[in-house]
Amino acid sequence: MSAAATLPRQWRNGELAVMLLLPIALINAIGFILPVLNLARYSFNKSRIGGGIENVFTWDNWAGLLSDPFYLELVFNSVWISLAITLTTLVVSYPIALYLHRSTGSWRTFLTVLVISPLLTSAVVRTYGWIAILVDDGPVVSAIKAVGLPAPSLMFNIKGVFIGLTEILMPYMILALMAGFGRLDPRVEEAARTLGATPSRTFLKVILPLTLPGIALGCLLCFVLAVSSFITPKLMGGGRVFLLATEIYDQAIVTLNWPLASTLSILVLIVFGAALWAYSAVLRRLD
Amino acid sequence: MPVSSAPEEHLRLQNIGVSFGNVNVIPSLDLSVRKGEMVAFLGPSGCGKTTTLRIIAGLNTPSRGHIVVGGRDITRLPIHDRDIGMVFQSYALFPHMNVSRNVQFGLQMRNVSGREAEERAGRALEMVQLSHLAHRKPKELSGGQQQRVALARALVIQPSILLLDEPLSNLDAKLRDEMRVQIRALQQESGITAVFVTHDQVEALSMCDRVVVMRNGHVEQFGTPTEVYERPATAFVANFVGRTNKLKGKIGSDGVLSAAGQQLHSATTVAPGAVEVLVRPHRIHLQGQAGDTREADNKVKGTVSGLTFVGDLVQYGVRVGDDEIVVEEATRRERRPVGVGDSVVLGWSAEDTLVYPGGGQ
Ligand SMILES: Nc1ncnc2c1ncn2[C@@H]1O[C@H](COP(=O)(O)OP(=O)(O)OP(=O)(O)O)[C@@H](O)[C@H]1O
Ligand SMILES: [Mg+2]
Repeated sequence: MSAAATLPRQWRNGELAVMLLLPIALINAIGFILPVLNLARYSFNKSRIGGGIENVFTWDNWAGLLSDPFYLELVFNSVWISLAITLTTLVVSYPIALYLHRSTGSWRTFLTVLVISPLLTSAVVRTYGWIAILVDDGPVVSAIKAVGLPAPSLMFNIKGVFIGLTEILMPYMILALMAGFGRLDPRVEEAARTLGATPSRTFLKVILPLTLPGIALGCLLCFVLAVSSFITPKLMGGGRVFLLATEIYDQAIVTLNWPLASTLSILVLIVFGAALWAYSAVLRRLD
Repeated sequence: MPVSSAPEEHLRLQNIGVSFGNVNVIPSLDLSVRKGEMVAFLGPSGCGKTTTLRIIAGLNTPSRGHIVVGGRDITRLPIHDRDIGMVFQSYALFPHMNVSRNVQFGLQMRNVSGREAEERAGRALEMVQLSHLAHRKPKELSGGQQQRVALARALVIQPSILLLDEPLSNLDAKLRDEMRVQIRALQQESGITAVFVTHDQVEALSMCDRVVVMRNGHVEQFGTPTEVYERPATAFVANFVGRTNKLKGKIGSDGVLSAAGQQLHSATTVAPGAVEVLVRPHRIHLQGQAGDTREADNKVKGTVSGLTFVGDLVQYGVRVGDDEIVVEEATRRERRPVGVGDSVVLGWSAEDTLVYPGGGQ
């Protein structure tokens, strides 16, 4: 008699997987898939003045969007600015993440808490903080004036948005980078050094390639967050910086044109899809 | 290989001291390695073998002392200018490069042209018999194959010194034996000066020209395998290199050695006082066996308390007073059978009686 026959009925692999996945699948279906499908439907509906939605099928929203240079420029600007912010965030976060990865003990704990702590305050609070710092008679501009340089305008334009978003995204970038630094083996770096690599060549030939997965992850995360953030661009742009997220907000809340807002949202989703595709393409090449 | 009458010194460690924080790991180390020889660092875990190797490579900075290679002081030279090949215990291959690129790395850092680098890497891989795996990634290789890639990568740059940190400890016994022979052959072929770290005495004795026995950050003995084995400088060395019996004894003011309750003869002399007497198991034989004509300077009576047959040799435990002495004899067909409880006489020569001061009391 086989041992299996004496045991109670066992989970077969497939059943177990389904059982474990079911809760998250349900949550996702209700919390994400349904609303997105709803958005997709709205984007083919007609808007009525005053916020109403007329439940008829029309291509008008999409046709209007794709033929209006304002919106095309909006998409282009959003993607371009988000990419630039992501890259800046990467450049300023990388050394911090690497230093953090290499520090040990309580010093490391302290620094990690320091990096994460901005996440404990809302982006709204931090944005107002940046406004106070960067306004025309604020400390930064005053300091620049004091050393005799021409006073820059750092607030209520794209520069303010750039600075604010970069700082707000840094914790995410640092955490993503550190998660990807697991592949860094100090022995491997030492091996490179004994083989004649200078510190800078060790960085370029060994450290950087080994941390590319972390870089890709951090960039994906920050790009998505940058494209979808609207509070910081709204407040720090002073209504003069037009991005996809702020426009969706305006259309949905101010103009009450939900079909157009939905169409723009689906567009953002398509941009995210492209980003995700680029990310997995990079990962596949790295493997 | 050309044999020169006065071997040239290649690597010298001069009064090297190393501290981590306020722990003085290596108090003061002096060492001189000749050109083309392979020296083993042998010692128990934590005695400072890896640290010394890393000091030579420049991966650790000594708090004191000088490292001289080929007459040039390299103590302050950055790692990448030292021209030292290192094989790490964990191999430390570049995971994102294939085998061939791994081996080419050092050549690229020396700005060797692409084609030449490829050719030389190819030859190095041939040397370690891995040409067929040149395009694999390290993670697609077995431990032994990775180890050989690491070796090829270190050798291809023709470094002035090759450092190997327990390169065989992750391999199974059979592969280890093969690699021992291979590494030694490659080292002798290329005439490279090599330092080989191990805590395996067989590895140290069988592969290397000379052995440095280390303990707590200092050199206990530095000599050829035969010297270290036959004339251990300290009781620690005798214990660490090969197995040995240990008897407590003393030397009287008249210079007479006594241990195991009687007078013994030894070729070595030490100052009067408490001593440790060490005799290797296979240098002791049971007296009175048929056809045994061996002379013995020391004869000690005892009772057999245990017996283990190990095929090519028999291991006896013999009780002598309070001491238990292990004796190993080669098996012979015409032996007189000896059983547990039998009275026997053990014999060994004065040359095999090693005496060291100390031993407590
Ligand atoms: N980075 C470090 N910080 C503090 N102590 C260290 C450090 N590296 C080594 N040590 C200490 O220095 C001593 C020598 O270490 P080392 O690694 O040289 O030993 P080893 O002879 O190579 O031992 P093993 O055979 O276990 O590899 C040990 O006591 C170790 O704890
Ligand atoms: Mg070690």
